[in-house]
Formats: sequence, structure tokens, C-alpha cells
Amino acid sequence: MGMIQICPLVLFLSVLGVLTFTHGDTSMDSSCLQRIKSQLVDPEGVLRNWSSGIDICSWNGLTCSEDLTHVVGLNLSGSGLSGIISPEFSCLVSLQILDLSSNYLTGPIPPELGKLQNLKELYLYSNFLSGKISAELGLLKKLQVLRVGNNMLTGEITPHLGNLTDLRVLGLAFSLLNGSIPVEIGNLKSLKILNLQQNSFSGLIPGEISSCLELQVFSAAGNMLEGEIPASIGKLESLEILHLANNTLSGSIPIELGSLSNLKYLNLLGNGLNGKIPVELNQLSMLETLDLSNNKLSGKINILNSRLRNLESLVLSDNFLTGGIPSDLCVSNSNLQKVFLSLNNLSGTFPSELLNCSSLQQLDLSNNGFYGQLPSGLDNLRNLTDLVLNNNSFSGKLPSEIGNMSSLKGLYLFHNSLTGRIPVEIGKLQRLTVLYLYENQLSGSIPRELTNCSSLMEIDLFGNHFTGSIPATIGKLKHLVFLQLRQNDLSGPIPPCLGYCKKLQKLALADNRLSGSLPPTFRFLTELSVVTLYNNSFEGPLPESLFLLKNLSIINFSHNRFSGSIFPLSGSSTLIVLDLTNNSFSGGIPTRLAESKNLTRLRLGHNHLTGTIPSEFGQLIELNFLDLSFNNLTGEVIQELSNCNQLEHLLLNDNRLTGTVPSWLGRFQGLGELDLSSNDFHGTVPAELGSCSKLLKLSLHSNNLSGWIPPEIGNLTCLNVLDLQRNNLTGPIPSTVQQCKKLYELRLSENFLTGMIPSELGKLTELQVILDLSRNQLSGEIPSSLGKLMKLERLNLSFNQLQGEVPPSLGRLTSLQMLNLSNNLLQGQVPSTFSGFPLSSFVGNKDLCGAPLVSCSESVGSERKWLSDNEVAAIIVAIVFTSTVICLVLIYMMLRIWFDWRKVSVSSSDSGGLESNREEMQWFYGEDNEKKNGDYWRVNSLTSVQPQEK
Amino acid sequence: MAPTYLLSFLAFLLTVSPTISTNSEGNALHALRTRLLDPTNVLQSWDPTLVNPCTWFHVTCDSNNHVIRLDLGNSNISGTLGPELGGLKHLQELYKNNIQGEIPEELGKLKNLVSMDLYGNKFEGEIPKSFAKLKSLKFLRLNNNKLTGSIPRELTTLSNLKVFDVSNNDLCGTIPIDGPFSSFPIQSFENNNRLNGPELQGLASYDFGC
Repeated sequence: MGMIQICPLVLFLSVLGVLTFTHGDTSMDSSCLQRIKSQLVDPEGVLRNWSSGIDICSWNGLTCSEDLTHVVGLNLSGSGLSGIISPEFSCLVSLQILDLSSNYLTGPIPPELGKLQNLKELYLYSNFLSGKISAELGLLKKLQVLRVGNNMLTGEITPHLGNLTDLRVLGLAFSLLNGSIPVEIGNLKSLKILNLQQNSFSGLIPGEISSCLELQVFSAAGNMLEGEIPASIGKLESLEILHLANNTLSGSIPIELGSLSNLKYLNLLGNGLNGKIPVELNQLSMLETLDLSNNKLSGKINILNSRLRNLESLVLSDNFLTGGIPSDLCVSNSNLQKVFLSLNNLSGTFPSELLNCSSLQQLDLSNNGFYGQLPSGLDNLRNLTDLVLNNNSFSGKLPSEIGNMSSLKGLYLFHNSLTGRIPVEIGKLQRLTVLYLYENQLSGSIPRELTNCSSLMEIDLFGNHFTGSIPATIGKLKHLVFLQLRQNDLSGPIPPCLGYCKKLQKLALADNRLSGSLPPTFRFLTELSVVTLYNNSFEGPLPESLFLLKNLSIINFSHNRFSGSIFPLSGSSTLIVLDLTNNSFSGGIPTRLAESKNLTRLRLGHNHLTGTIPSEFGQLIELNFLDLSFNNLTGEVIQELSNCNQLEHLLLNDNRLTGTVPSWLGRFQGLGELDLSSNDFHGTVPAELGSCSKLLKLSLHSNNLSGWIPPEIGNLTCLNVLDLQRNNLTGPIPSTVQQCKKLYELRLSENFLTGMIPSELGKLTELQVILDLSRNQLSGEIPSSLGKLMKLERLNLSFNQLQGEVPPSLGRLTSLQMLNLSNNLLQGQVPSTFSGFPLSSFVGNKDLCGAPLVSCSESVGSERKWLSDNEVAAIIVAIVFTSTVICLVLIYMMLRIWFDWRKVSVSSSDSGGLESNREEMQWFYGEDNEKKNGDYWRVNSLTSVQPQEK
Repeated sequence: MAPTYLLSFLAFLLTVSPTISTNSEGNALHALRTRLLDPTNVLQSWDPTLVNPCTWFHVTCDSNNHVIRLDLGNSNISGTLGPELGGLKHLQELYKNNIQGEIPEELGKLKNLVSMDLYGNKFEGEIPKSFAKLKSLKFLRLNNNKLTGSIPRELTTLSNLKVFDVSNNDLCGTIPIDGPFSSFPIQSFENNNRLNGPELQGLASYDFGC
């Protein structure tokens, strides 16, 4: 308030100053500016000349009035200033323009700025200002430009801004503002530019905005605005830019938008707009950009390029649009450069009309239902840089004219049904950088001419039927970063010149019929990070120089015939995956692999590796998968491996490892698969394994393990497979195994297990693949609870000392396909449902009877055979007798019928009446009849339950 | 306006990326995973960037690295099955739990399927007629779900079917008697209140609709 009183004094003094000193009494401003300066940090020294000895009007950033009496402008934009905006700014009462934009200022916008009654333009954008936009800014009656965006301002827009009726520009974008857009915005009759984008505004777009008739730019993109787009926006005839993308707007696009005759840019992408695209949009003759992508728009595309003559970008991707491409989507002499229609439900063939659109630079029709051949006239699109047609059903050949599309940079045709060869003309495309033809039906050889496309960076031909060899000139592609030829029928060796593609980072040649050895030129591929060669016929030792490749992270050479040492692959310390399974590698496991601290998968199974597991592997604490199975490894499972507690798969089976099964395995809480089978381990099954609560598969078979099966095995409640067969285990089967509820495969055969089969096994109702307890010393009866294993397909209890009867409940095992109860001490009747199993399932028992064995009634007595012969004779007599009787009866009946027919043939109407009567009777007694039917059916169904398996 | 152009362009780029990791069966399973809720992270090992899904837990492959067994039973997994499963051409056995929604008819594409156990879930809708294409099927257990509609007559052509269990559902209509259905025990159809058949009520005539 003091300032207003001081004002006349300042005026007086300054007039005096002009008369006496050249720089008169801006001294008030001077002291106030000094106080402002004191609150700023000025690392670039921009305010260095702000000192009292120097004419204030020559201070950096200051503009004085023409009479040099007042500071009317202050522009310190982009000066590297930090600190706060001082409330002292309020003393610069004559200030008309204040520009502090693009600095590092913090703190709030001081409400005192509201005192700058002469201020016309306020620029505070691109700082780190926080707090709210104070209501006092609404006092700046002369304000025309307010730009405070790109800060960290919070809170709502104060409705007082509605008082700023002279405001032309309101910029509040890129902040943290929330709340709704105040209806007072409609008071800003002079507003030309309103930018609210990238905040957190919510609520509706106020219809009052239609009062801002001068509005040229309205952007509220990137907020959370909802509801419909107000139709009244159509009144904003001056509007050139309407940008409401990425909100949650709903409803249909108002047809009134068609009245915006000056609109150049319309962007509604990323909302929930539905309905059809209004044809009225075709009236927007000035429109250059139309983006309606990522909405829920449906119906046909009805954008008419013939009317939208200025359209440059048309983006309708990711909607539910149907139908074909209209013939006048893009006409000749058009300005249309970008057409993006991907991710819709469009269909039809490639429209030939589109070929007239020579202005087109990028065409994306991907992820639709287009079909048919690619037109040979594609080369009319001579300005096209990107042709994106992937994920459609295009068929036929690649037209050779594609070679004339000299601007082409990206050709994306993957996931179609293209056939035939790659035309040799493709070699003319000197700008082509990306060629994605994967997952088509292309065949023939990869043309050597392709290597003339000197700009190529990425080639993906995965999943086609290419034959022949990799072009020997591939080394010409000096910019190649990515080469994928996976899953084709390529043969022959890797051309040595591939090593000259020195930029190559990813090389995928897997799933082909490639052969030969790796060329030593591979050592030049120093950028190589991913190389997958699996499922080929590569052979021979690896070049030692591969050790020079320091950037390798993923190597998969599995299923080849590589031999020699794997040492050359241990040069990189950035390995994450190394998979060499199923080769003929020999020698030891290089300790240097332990340098790759991030190694998560190491698979060296099915080779001829010798020596021990390196103790340095204890450093591989990220290791998740360790597969050294099917080698000739010796020694023990070293203690150091206990550090690798991230292991989920540990496969050391089929080696010649010795020692005991380490008890520290119990600390591997993530372990899902443990296979130590077919080694020379001795000692017991450690009880600690019961702590591996995520274990799904535990296989320790074919070792020399002894002692009891620990009851802790029952703690493995996730276990699917438990295989302990072929060991020297003794003692009983622990009844705790019943807790392994998810077991579907249980093999304990070929041990020395004793005692009864625990009846609790009947609780393992998921058992399905096999329950094999054969070749032990189990005794007692077969528990009838095993009859609950309804899913069991194979049951082997043979070669034990089981006695008593086969429980009848076993007969209900309807899933059973293999059964072996042989060589026990069983007796009594075999369940009748087992009659389909072969004799060998039951032989070698004490006294079993019933099919397929001899019937139980015959199994007693020693004259069985004689009696049986007798019976056969009796049966034959009975059959002959019965059939004779039946024949006689039939002959008699036929004779009777013939006589009857002769009698009634003259009165057929009678017989017809009789039939209809019978039908009535059937309806009447229908229930009874059906019941009888049912009874019959039921008997039938019950008697034929037996499995007919052999 | 620059950010918006950028967005469009990003979307443009996203649709086109190389296929360093493509394996169709792994993709099918991975797509399935996205539909499933897995509170105990049972499917953590399902890494789609691996060459094939054969080292994933609960997935079993044959020697040609084709998925033959999928076993998600008793894992607290919930969600729906999708059409992607139809891509597992070599699948022989399928075990599931706590899954809801309809049984996708694409499962009829699993020509090698021997055993389909979808029991004890919350499946709704009808038994897909496409199951009649599962010529290798021996075991089909759909019991304890919320299935409705009738038992498709087409299933009578499954000559290898040994076990068929639809008990404890809400099926209706009559029970077929042809083909393998002549030998299924009455227990296979129990607790379907609207399921009529000579062997259950002895009232309805054969092949009623419902």
C-alpha cells in the first residue's frame, strides 16, 4: 500500500532526476531490485551489473520507460537463476512485462504480484515453482498473457482468473493442477490461447468455453476430463487447434465440430469416444492433422480426402472401425503424408485407389483383416518411407515393383500369408533400414541382391520356408544390427564374411539345417550380445578367438554337434544365459564362467564334459538354472554351490558324481526341480530336503542311497514327481507321504523297503502317471484305500510279499491302463473289471483266480481239466438242441404269418385301425414303457463297465 | 503439439518389433498366463523369452520340445481360459483349477489330447461341441463345475473315451447312449438336477432339448 502513496513522489523525483542527473530516480526501483537480487542465486552472473554505481536502465534484463523514469520490463528468462521470486517484485509498480521463465526458481508465486497493476504479460513457465495459483493474480486487470506452466504448481485454478478480461494467453500446462476447469473461463472474451494440457484436471469441459469466441488454441490433453465433448465448442469459429487427447472423454464426437472452419489440428486420441466418425468432419477444409486413434469408434471410415484437401496426417488406429478403405481416402494431388489405420477390424483388399496417393510417406494398415495380393502398382507410392502391413492376411507374391520404391526405409510385412520368393529387385532399395518379413510362407533362397541394400540395420525372416544358404555377400551389410533367419530350411555353412557385419548385436540362426563350423571371422563381431544357433547341424570346435567377444550376454548353441572345449565362450563377463545342451563338447567346465556374475541359466547337459564342478561357481549367486546332466562329471557336489541359493532347477543327473546328497540343498527355498539321479551318491536322503517347500520334482533314483525315507518328505506339499527307485533304501514307506497331495508320479521301486503299504497312499488322489512300489519287500495286504486313486493309469506292486485278496475297491480304478500285481503272495478272486488285463499282470501269486486267470469255481479240485471237457461236451449238446428248437419254431411262425396274411389281405383298413390303437396305448402307458426301457438300459450300462484293455 | 505426434509414432513403433523370442507354444501359454491370477506366483518361471516353455514349471514337453502336459491343479490359480490354448497342438494332458468363465471351444483343436481334467473349477456355459474333434481323448473329467446346457451328441463319436465325468454340474437334457456312453457308470452324471435320462429318472424320452 505504501507504494501507491510513494508513487507521486517517485514521479516528482524522477522528473527532477532527468533534469539534474542522467539517471534520476529510478532509485526506488533500484533498491527494490537489489532486494530482489538478494533472494536469487545467480551462478551465471547475469545480475552482475545490478549495482548502484551503474545506470539502472542498462542493468541486464531491465527495460525502462521511454523517459527512463520507470522500469517497465524485466526479462531474466533462461538465466540459470535459482532461489525464490521475491515478494519485493511488488514494488516495481510500473512493470508491464515480467519474464522469469526457464530458470530454476522454487517456492510459490508470491501473491504480492497482484499489486503490479500495470502488468500486461507474466511469464513464469518452466521453473520449479510450487504452491497454488493465488487468487491475487485475478487483480491484474491489464494482464494479457499469463504463462505459468511447466512448474510444480498444485491446487485448482482460481475462479478469480475469470476477472482477467483482457487475457489473450493462458498457459497452465505441464503442472500438477487439479480440480475442474472453472466456468468463469467463459468470461475471458479475449482469450486466444488456452493451454491446460498435462495436468490432473477432472470433471467436465465447461460449455461456457464457447463464449471465448476469439479462441484459436484449446489444449487440455493429458488430463482426466470426463463426460462428452460439449457441442457448443462448434461455435468457436476461430479455433485452429483442438487437442483433447488422453482424457477419459466419452460419448460420440459432436457433429458440431464440423463447423470449426479454421481448424487445422484435431486430436482426440486416447479417450473413450464411441459411435461413428461424423461425416461433418469432412467440412473441415483447413484440417491438416486428424487423430482419433485409441477410442471406441465404430462404423466405416468416411473421411473424404477429396474434401479434406489440406489433410497431412490421418490417424484412426486402435478403434473398432469396419469395412474397407474408401476409394477417396487419399486422392491424387493430395497432401496426405501419414495414414495410420492399424488395430481396427478393417477388411478387404489393398485399395488400388490408394496408389494414386503419391504424397503418402507412411502407411500403416497393420493388425486388420486385409487380404488378397499386394498390388504391383505399389511403386506409385514413390514417397513412401514406411509400409506397415503386418498382422493381416495378405497373400500372393511380393511384387517386384517394390524395388522402385526408392524412399522406402521400413518394410513391415510380417504375420501375413505371403508366398513365393523375395524379388531380386529389392536390392535397389538403398534406404531400406528395416525388413520384417517374418511368419509368412515365403520360400526360395534369400537373394544375394538383398545384400545390396546397404542401409539395412534389421532383417527378420523368421518362420518362412527359405532354402539354400545364407548369401555369401552378407558381409556387405555394414550397418546390420539385427539378423534373424530362425525357423527356415536354410542349409550350408555360415559365410565367413558375416564377421564383417561388425555392428551386429543380435544373430538368430536357430532351427535351420545349417552346418559346418563357426568361421574364425566371428571374432570381429565385438558388438554381438545375443547369438542363438540351436537346432542346426553345426560341428567342430569353436574358434578360440570367440574369447574376444566381450559383450555376449545370451548364447544358445544347443542341439548341434559342436565339439572341443567350451572355453572360447567364457570370454564375456556379461553372460546371462549360456545353453550348450546336446552337443559333443568335451574337456572341463571353464572356471572362468564364474566371472559372469549375472549368469542366470547355465545349461551344459548332454555333452561329454569331464572333471569336477568348479568351486568358483559358488560366486554365481544369480544362478537360477544349472543343468550339467548327462556328462561324465566326477567328484562331489561342492559345498560352495550352497551360495547359489536362487537356484530353481538343479540337474546333475546322469554323471559319475560321488559323495552324499548335500543337506544344504534344504536352504534353496526356490528349488522346484532337483535331479541327482543316475550318479554314485551314497548316504541317506537328507531330511533337510523337506524344507524345499516349492519342490515339484525330486528325482534321486539309480544311486546307492541307503537308510530310511525321511518322514520330512511329507513337507513337500507341492511335489508332483517323487522318484527314489533303484537305491538301497530300507525301512517303511513313511505315511507322511500322504501330505504330498499333488503327487502325480510316485516311484519307490527296486529298493529294500519293508512293512505294509500305508493305507494313507489312498489320499494321493492326484496320482496319475504311475504308482510303482515294485521289487521291494513290502508285506501285508494291499490297502483297499488304493481304490480311491481314480486317476491312476499305471499301478505296479509286483515282486513284493503282498498277501491276502486283491481288494474289490481296486476294481473301480477306471483309469487304469497298466496293472502289475505279479509275483506276490496274493490269493482269492481278481476283481471282475480286471479281466481285460493280461495274465502277466497276475502270475506268480499264491492263489489268484478269476479272469484272465482260471475261474474261481474251477480253481478248487484237481480234476478240473476232466470236468471242463465234460462241460464242453454238454454245452455243445445244449447249443445244438436249442438251435434246432428255435429253427422249428421259426418255420412254424412263418407258416402261420403267411396264412394270416392271406386271410386279412382283403381287409387292410381293419389292421390300420389296430395299429393306431396300439399307438394310443403306447402314449397312454408311455411312462411305464419308458421305465422298462430305462431299467433295461441301466442293466446294460452296468454290465458293460469293464475296461476292454489288453 | 509435439508430444502427441510422439505418441502416435511410439504406437507405430510398438506394433513392429523383431521376434527374437517367438515360440508359438510358449506364446500361447504366456497369453494364458496373462488371463490368470496367480497369487502364490506359481507361474513365475514362465519366461516367454526362453527358446521354448519346456523348462517352465507345471509344463511338460516331449523329446521334440512340444508341450504335452499342462498341470495347474491345486495352485490357487484363478481366471479364465482363452483361445490361445488351442495353439498347443501336441498337448496330451490338461489339468486345471479354480478357473472360471467358459470352456474355450478352441480346446477342440488339441488333437493329441489324451486327458482333459477341468474338474473342480467354476466353468460356466456349455460343453463345447468341438470336443468331438479330440479323437485321442481317453479321459474327460468336467465334474464339479457350473456347466449348463446338454451333453453334446457329438461326443458319442469319441471312440477312445474311457472315462467321462460330468457329475455335479447344472446340465440338462438327456444322456446319450451311443458309442462310449454305453459304458459310463451312473455316477458320472450324478447331481445334475435337470439332467434326465432313463438311468436317472426313467421318465424322459431320448434326446430332449433343454
